[in-house]
Amino acid sequence: MVIFERSRKHNMIKAIDIKKTYRVGKVEIAALQAVSLEIKEGEFVSITGSSGSGKSTLMHIIGCLDRPTSGKFFLDDEEVGELKDDALAEIRNKKIGFVFQQFNLLSRSTALRNVELPLIYGEVNRRERIDRARVALERVEMAHRLHHRPNELSGGERQRIAIARALVTNPSLILADEPTGNLDSKTGQAILDLFQKLHQQGHTLIVVTHERYVSGYAQRIIRLRDGLIERDEKTNRP
Amino acid sequence: MKFTENVRGALDGLNANRRRSFLSMLGIVIGIAAVVIIISITQGSQKSISERIEALGTNLINVRPGRRGGARGMRAQTLTDLFTVADGERILKRASAVKRVVPVVNRRLLLQYRDKNAEIQINGVTPEYQDVFNFWVEEGKFISDQDLKSLRTVIVLGQEVATDLFGDGNPVGQSIMVNGPSTRYKFRVIGVMESKGQVMFSHFDEQAFVPLTTAQKRLLQTKHVDSFSIQAKSKETASEATEQIDAILYQKFQDDTKYRIFSQEELLSTMGSVMQTFSIMLVGIAGISLLVGGIGIMNTMLVSVTERTREIGTRMAVGAKRSDILLQFLWESMVLCLVGGVIGIVIGWIGSTIIASIAGWTTIVSFPAIALALGFATVVGLFFGIYPANKASKLDPVEALRYE
Ligand SMILES: Nc1ncnc2c1ncn2[C@@H]1O[C@H](COP(=O)(O)OP(=O)(O)O)[C@@H](O)[C@H]1O
Ligand SMILES: [Mg+2]
Repeated sequence: MVIFERSRKHNMIKAIDIKKTYRVGKVEIAALQAVSLEIKEGEFVSITGSSGSGKSTLMHIIGCLDRPTSGKFFLDDEEVGELKDDALAEIRNKKIGFVFQQFNLLSRSTALRNVELPLIYGEVNRRERIDRARVALERVEMAHRLHHRPNELSGGERQRIAIARALVTNPSLILADEPTGNLDSKTGQAILDLFQKLHQQGHTLIVVTHERYVSGYAQRIIRLRDGLIERDEKTNRP
Repeated sequence: MKFTENVRGALDGLNANRRRSFLSMLGIVIGIAAVVIIISITQGSQKSISERIEALGTNLINVRPGRRGGARGMRAQTLTDLFTVADGERILKRASAVKRVVPVVNRRLLLQYRDKNAEIQINGVTPEYQDVFNFWVEEGKFISDQDLKSLRTVIVLGQEVATDLFGDGNPVGQSIMVNGPSTRYKFRVIGVMESKGQVMFSHFDEQAFVPLTTAQKRLLQTKHVDSFSIQAKSKETASEATEQIDAILYQKFQDDTKYRIFSQEELLSTMGSVMQTFSIMLVGIAGISLLVGGIGIMNTMLVSVTERTREIGTRMAVGAKRSDILLQFLWESMVLCLVGGVIGIVIGWIGSTIIASIAGWTTIVSFPAIALALGFATVVGLFFGIYPANKASKLDPVEALRYE
């Protein structure tokens, strides 16, 4: 039953010795130096580390927004570094949901329209798009704010919309880069509760944060320091 | 992405900054309005000019004597005493494409009725004059063959001549004096022509008509005629007729500077090409304003791309391909130009209507002009949208998301 085993505890993410260097003028900055890690389907991983330790850089590579300078990165056994821009865009569209610190909602569009956006690029027809966007908004308890624009919503509500947008394509992986960074601690707590719930529903989650209490929700905490994995440990969370 | 999504996205984008969108549209609006006005005026005047030329009578050809001199500061003089009625008869007989030939003599002579007088052009013509010029008598009758044969002293007046001399009274049946160079005759008015107004350079209403023979033998004592007004059988045979006439006259005079042939067809095409050159030039000028408008659009789009860098990053993060971003901004600039184009067309339409009513010109807003204007707007939108759209699509997603 090896196949069964493999598909159940499938390695969604596999990074082998990835490096990322940025060149600023003549200076080379190594944002990531030799990071290797595996993340399985259904895990809830928290990535922590001080500011500038390379968390966002790692997130961008995992999220197929960027390619490593060297090393191999596999998503669902597919090597991302060799894919063309369009193929990456499609992977982001189908398999990944992003949640950002600054929410990054389209300020002119309603909550519903914002959540529809990934489905528009996914060529989903209008009726289905609206249905799915509504369902996603219900899941983040925002069904009562369908036609509000971001500037009519609170920070926590905006982040819920952004999470609904990440959920709407039913992605295999949800990536959140400091999702509570712009929220007060109480609202942040509620957002984390929401992530917890999504995890329990079977989603794979990677949440970047440098706040201690955030990490308390994850099953596994990866600590970065100067572009290297300093610690990778399991918590006793289910 | 689907068409409707593209257009909707573009409209959303433009809606976000309505004032800026509108201001950047202005150049296009003005350019397109100018194109529409210019085309409508040139098409209108082309139509009215050709109507006027055609009003001279269908398929008209004019044969006049040539000029002599004119070089080295000498005054050019039209040859006189060249043609005779026989030349006209020969043309009618031998030129198969010719339908009618009217020999004409004309002079400016003084007319008198009681205490009123008028110096006008008197034409000695034959009865067929009416058909050739498509110019008909309104009251009374025109000159008849009998008048011609008997050298009758009868006269048909143009509308204005009639009102000048008789006011509201009826001139038909009245007698007026016509002063020739050496003699004076009493003429009986037998008719008044319809009003034709000014056609090209002849003012038909300020003329009077007498039998050709009367003019030759009684008033002017000449055997010659001044010109021939010739009608070709049809529009299609007009140029053939011109060639035949040329051959016949050359055979007689052996010198093609002695006579000149003016065909209405030639005049029409000359006027047409003059108008066309003129309108191309004006549209070119309007094109410059479109160019300036386009640069304005490009500038706005570039600002918009910069302002919306994070939005572009976000769109890429949720799955937009580079081509999606490219199309989004191309659509935006095209919609901007098309909306500007439509506003320009409306303004141009209104403008040309106002010009038509104030200046009294004929203006025609035609479908091709509108299509051309819209085509221009689209091309401008595409052309000046490419650079900003390309810039947007080439953004690195990570950089775009980090943009403050
Ligand atoms: N586009 C870039 N150009 C230059 N340096 C960069 C760029 N992105 C990140 N860096 C640098 O790489 C390092 C890691 O950055 P980042 O991954 O954003 O850290 P974190 O998210 O942990 O705060 C930092 O030193 C940062 O300045
Ligand atoms: Mg970061």
